[in-house]
Amino acid sequence: MMGYGPQAGMSGLLKEGTKQLSGVEEAVLRNIDACKQLKTILCTSIGPNGMNKMVKSYMGKLFVTSDAATIVRELEIVHPAAKLLVTASESQEKECGDATALVIVLAGELLEKAEGLLRLGLHTSDIIQGYEKAGLEACRMLPNLVSYELGDMKNVSEVSHALTSCISSKMHGLEDVIAPLVADACISILPANINTFSVENVRVTKIPGASVADSMVIKGAVLTSNAQGVVKHVRDAKVAIYTCDFEMGQAETKGTVLLTSAQELMDYNKGEERNLEEKVKDIVDKGVNVVVSTKFGEVAAHFLDKYNVMMVKCPSKHEMRRIARSTKAIALPKLQPPTIDEIGKCDVVSVEEIGSTRCIIFKQEQEGSRVATIVVRGSTTNMQEDVERCVDDAVHNYRGMSRDPRFVAGAGASEIEAARFVDKMGEKAPGLDQYAIRKFAEALQIIPRVLAQNSGQDPGVMLSNLIAAHEGNNPYIGVDIDEGTVCNAMDKQIVDHLATKMNAITLATEAACTVLRVDQLIMAKAAGGPKPRDMMGPDDADEAP
Amino acid sequence: MSVQLINPGAEVTRRGLALHTTISAAKGLQDVLRSNLGPKGTIKMLVSGAGDIKITKDGNVLLNEMQIQNPTASMIARTATAQDDVCGDGTTSTVLIIGELLKQAERYLVEGLHPRSVTDGFDLAREELSRWIDETALERKIDRELLVEIARCSLATKVVSDFATVLSEIVTDAVLTIQREGQPLDLHMVEIMAMEHRTSKESRLVKGLVLDHGGRHPDMPKKVTDAFILTCNVGLEYEKSEVQAGFFYSNAEQREKLLEAERQAVDDKVNKIIALKKQVCDDSGKGFVVMNQKGIDPNSLDLLAREGILALRRAKRRNMERLTLACGGVAVNSVDHLTPDVLGFAGVVYEQVLGDDKFTFVEEVENPYSCTIMLKGPNRHTIVQVRDAIRDGLRAVKNTIEDGRVLPGAGAFEVSAWKHLQEYSKTVSGKAKIGVLAYGDALLVIPKTLAQNCGFDQQDAIIKLQEEHIKGNVVGLDLASGEPMDPVATAVFDGYTVKKQLIGLSSVIATQLLLVDEILRAGRDVNKQ
Repeated sequence: MMGYGPQAGMSGLLKEGTKQLSGVEEAVLRNIDACKQLKTILCTSIGPNGMNKMVKSYMGKLFVTSDAATIVRELEIVHPAAKLLVTASESQEKECGDATALVIVLAGELLEKAEGLLRLGLHTSDIIQGYEKAGLEACRMLPNLVSYELGDMKNVSEVSHALTSCISSKMHGLEDVIAPLVADACISILPANINTFSVENVRVTKIPGASVADSMVIKGAVLTSNAQGVVKHVRDAKVAIYTCDFEMGQAETKGTVLLTSAQELMDYNKGEERNLEEKVKDIVDKGVNVVVSTKFGEVAAHFLDKYNVMMVKCPSKHEMRRIARSTKAIALPKLQPPTIDEIGKCDVVSVEEIGSTRCIIFKQEQEGSRVATIVVRGSTTNMQEDVERCVDDAVHNYRGMSRDPRFVAGAGASEIEAARFVDKMGEKAPGLDQYAIRKFAEALQIIPRVLAQNSGQDPGVMLSNLIAAHEGNNPYIGVDIDEGTVCNAMDKQIVDHLATKMNAITLATEAACTVLRVDQLIMAKAAGGPKPRDMMGPDDADEAP
Repeated sequence: MSVQLINPGAEVTRRGLALHTTISAAKGLQDVLRSNLGPKGTIKMLVSGAGDIKITKDGNVLLNEMQIQNPTASMIARTATAQDDVCGDGTTSTVLIIGELLKQAERYLVEGLHPRSVTDGFDLAREELSRWIDETALERKIDRELLVEIARCSLATKVVSDFATVLSEIVTDAVLTIQREGQPLDLHMVEIMAMEHRTSKESRLVKGLVLDHGGRHPDMPKKVTDAFILTCNVGLEYEKSEVQAGFFYSNAEQREKLLEAERQAVDDKVNKIIALKKQVCDDSGKGFVVMNQKGIDPNSLDLLAREGILALRRAKRRNMERLTLACGGVAVNSVDHLTPDVLGFAGVVYEQVLGDDKFTFVEEVENPYSCTIMLKGPNRHTIVQVRDAIRDGLRAVKNTIEDGRVLPGAGAFEVSAWKHLQEYSKTVSGKAKIGVLAYGDALLVIPKTLAQNCGFDQQDAIIKLQEEHIKGNVVGLDLASGEPMDPVATAVFDGYTVKKQLIGLSSVIATQLLLVDEILRAGRDVNKQ
């Protein structure tokens, strides 16, 4: 009977089904807990010895990967706080294309440490202040740790060394195969102005069969389709590209052919054909022997065959643009004979069979192709996809290098060193935030710790060895994952990209602070529609009110 | 009960219970928003039905997103929204003061005082304060420095403080850019454009325009310097005729001609633009940009691209207006009789690509009356949060320019209003006096909550403030130390309109709520069944 009796608190005010959590116990600690779970999931996937995860997505697609960006994307995380970390790692993916796991693991570790501080009775605002200061300090001092600077962006062996650490953390054992491929591909398309290097221009084509070691780089574009006509192989190709369909022109206005006799119909068709043949002839007369278009009409195809022109059907606009870039052709919007400038050149255009897949390959033999394609071979699709992701990250890394060639020592060495500095700063800090600053330093040590753990070593022993080495003024000492000892990261040429690392630390700090700042959660009743299937793992447990 | 006779499905809550319900709802809402007040307030995370996350401190956003159902609470929420509509700020304060007014009234009501006596007092107090606020407001010369301070005070309550410092300069400059002598400020001329990129601290003010799309042809220039800008609303594509039309032809040549003629109409228009470009640029290395509200088909794009013209199609309606304000020139609806004076000018126009999104920046314009705040943030929720804050910041600056005066902030105004009402109550006779005093006490909720959110003792802080005010010093609360401080010296100001509106709105709604003696709900609650 009583519709709105005086109910205590907010629950009486809101729409039914709305959940509300507030305060340190209910909101902050629970949020931290969710983030910790997420961190725990990803921890085992860090480093060369990290394990793969098998994720079956909502759509039933299977992923086998240790790439954090993919794992979190496919996990479809619903917990709002954990989602904040995911968005942070997503923006890391967008900015740098690498070190996504570092963002989540570091943010998760920061939150875990914050939990301890909260239980000690510290106020969230002190922790946030401390973390922010420490994050700034870490980013400020990291450039001082630069241990390696990429000298020549065009030197394959130097670039492959720089890429090794990024690749080996995803595909351990294959870095010697993939790194030179990526380096080769990237260098071949490096524009004169290094800053304009675009990751778009390195493509990956997956062709099943053989093994990863058989992957190769093709300087030019590759289409996984067959040429339409009889011509399958052209040397010294002159390429004309049409963004329209290669057939008789279509009018916008409705047209009706007015015919009175069968003869007229015959004549009309003849006329049309003649017309088209003239057009084709005009084009061929310009020296064109390869035509790329979205679609070929049957009649048009006939004439092109007649004049021995290779037909490449390419329905995707982006692919077409890439072919244009690679051959330096200018795409034409309508069926007209191209001028000399508009004709692209390509050394070889040919249909080749790789595995059992037919591909059209636009190969540029001399320097100066603006597109490179890495053909990834592999026994399973999952394997190939993982290689693709890895190549993608590596290419992003190369872009990062082209912007900023500085590197810090890898294998956890720079983290330990950064932690040491932050800790020192914490010692000097006067306020309550010093606890948080020092915890931040501890959190940075998570990377070497996890590296050791994933390689089956005792993280405690490893960490103390590392710290001892660093105290002894050896800033490049990191974890040796093979030997179970410490090693000089510089000797082993394990380097991490500086800007990527700094960005990751900034984002992780920001995400952790955002989670800490929230003291109240108001969740509306989930909107209708079928619930996602129950395959979220530990995150689901956190959802219960 | 009588209502049940008329409508058996109706629900009714009466007299004391009704009042109690109302008051407890108001207090409930106050409790929710209390922790958000001030620069040190905490953040709330809202999760929508679809799972979208929103992180905010802004009272108005919270009230809109919370899906409040209780009738009293939603009335208060609506008042707060009204406050936001008028001045763009002060929503949290409104809710707090309404709640506190009812709470203070309750103290007397339980002693048997009739609500009418309290509301009479509230009315008197409101009128007195509305008069007094004009006396107490500080007349200030409105310069950039003051506006930045005002913006900072408003923004600091919504975003982290060091970012607020960055943002306050941005919003102030934005408003000053669009200000024109003798014309009212139109904040729509400040566009907020968001980019999911880097960190929010890299946000900046673009004196010019940012459009969220780019040239549609791969061969168009990505950067044009010293650019003439043609703003037009001309369809550069085949347009269907109004009447049902068709063509008849009987051989292929006729058809070819038809196709050609069809193109001709569009090509003519494009050629006119190209002719103008050749006329003004004349190989002088200057650029040319076409911003078209209608479409441009691939063929036309190709023609333009060959001339090195950057063409944007399907620009937004409002951007067309802002474009001419920013770069000068006139928007044309036809390409006939184009002359160079319809062109605008910008120092540089360039395109930036972020993943799948393209942005076109029009910058270095000479005398812009429109500008864009380029908002960056690593993720969507940050951007949404900052966008709300920027809106409030812009309003705060605008209000101050229009008012020409400010009030001391950090709770100083509320405490001095309390002191003024104490004195004023001596001139009021009868029961209304209680209402006046209750009003004064209610205002103290603002400094109290500020103190509480910073982790200080409410009573300590308020007593220190009151003592100083009785001595005649106008002081506010120092959020770092909890001690009284001079808000004028430390440049903590509140908006005049905000407080004036706040006083009016909150007491009117509190009066109404107090005078409710019956809550009726006709029919069944469809939600409950």
